[in-house]
Amino acid sequence: MPEGTTLMSDAVTMKITLPKIPDIELVALEGLDRLARHLGIPDEKIGEARIIVTEAIINALEHSGEKNPSVRLEFTMTTKELSVFVRDYGKGFTPGSVEDPDIKVKLDSKNKRGWGLNLMKSMSDDFRIESGKSGTKITIKKLLL
Amino acid sequence: MEQPFSLTSEVRENRLIITTSGYVNNVGGEAIAAEFARHFEQGTRHIVINLGQSRVVNSVGMSFLIEIIERLQDAGGKLVFTDLDPAVEKMLSIMGLFQYAGKEKTVGDALLSFHEAGKPGP
Repeated sequence: MPEGTTLMSDAVTMKITLPKIPDIELVALEGLDRLARHLGIPDEKIGEARIIVTEAIINALEHSGEKNPSVRLEFTMTTKELSVFVRDYGKGFTPGSVEDPDIKVKLDSKNKRGWGLNLMKSMSDDFRIESGKSGTKITIKKLLL
Repeated sequence: MEQPFSLTSEVRENRLIITTSGYVNNVGGEAIAAEFARHFEQGTRHIVINLGQSRVVNSVGMSFLIEIIERLQDAGGKLVFTDLDPAVEKMLSIMGLFQYAGKEKTVGDALLSFHEAGKPGP
């Protein structure tokens, strides 16, 4: 079981630190699936959570600006809600300076990427981001009802 | 754990059908784009991408599909997605891909939609 996993009667929490290696986000998704199964949450209820978690991890690892980036991830899941906390230790950025991507613009642009933040915001029920010189923290809530 | 990415492709009536399996990440997206390009250069303009066996995708992988849509638009072609997991469908919808690409339940429905679109008007 991953580092720091705790089981309580109505909630399960998992904490894990992920290094930047290919597809490391799948380790987190495996944990997410197992927590959901433990709580009896049907697979179809966590489909969007999978995408949110995937985007949060790849975004943090790609944009932290660290030489050897890692991301600290914490899930707390109940039968009703998933809380996700993601933290990197990079150079930070100004969230307000990131424009929402537009498919019309992307079609004509060489850069087709840049969807991660928008997807996390759009698919979550609550999204908070704090970023500064010591890194970026993202807190997401996703209802599982 | 989600399976590693793989794809198969077939051509039916000059329509390319790409079926993926496993995680569509940057490597998967690039592989889809490469398979598309190989057929596009031979004149194929109608593409079906069946994502039914890929319940985990990421936005980097999906960004390669925007490139496919761009090339098809310029050439008067069309892309149709099928067998979408509801979460993946929502993701593509948020990205705006269905403004430029179709979606159908099955590959058969997608092929039929090409036939319908190709029928002469009244």
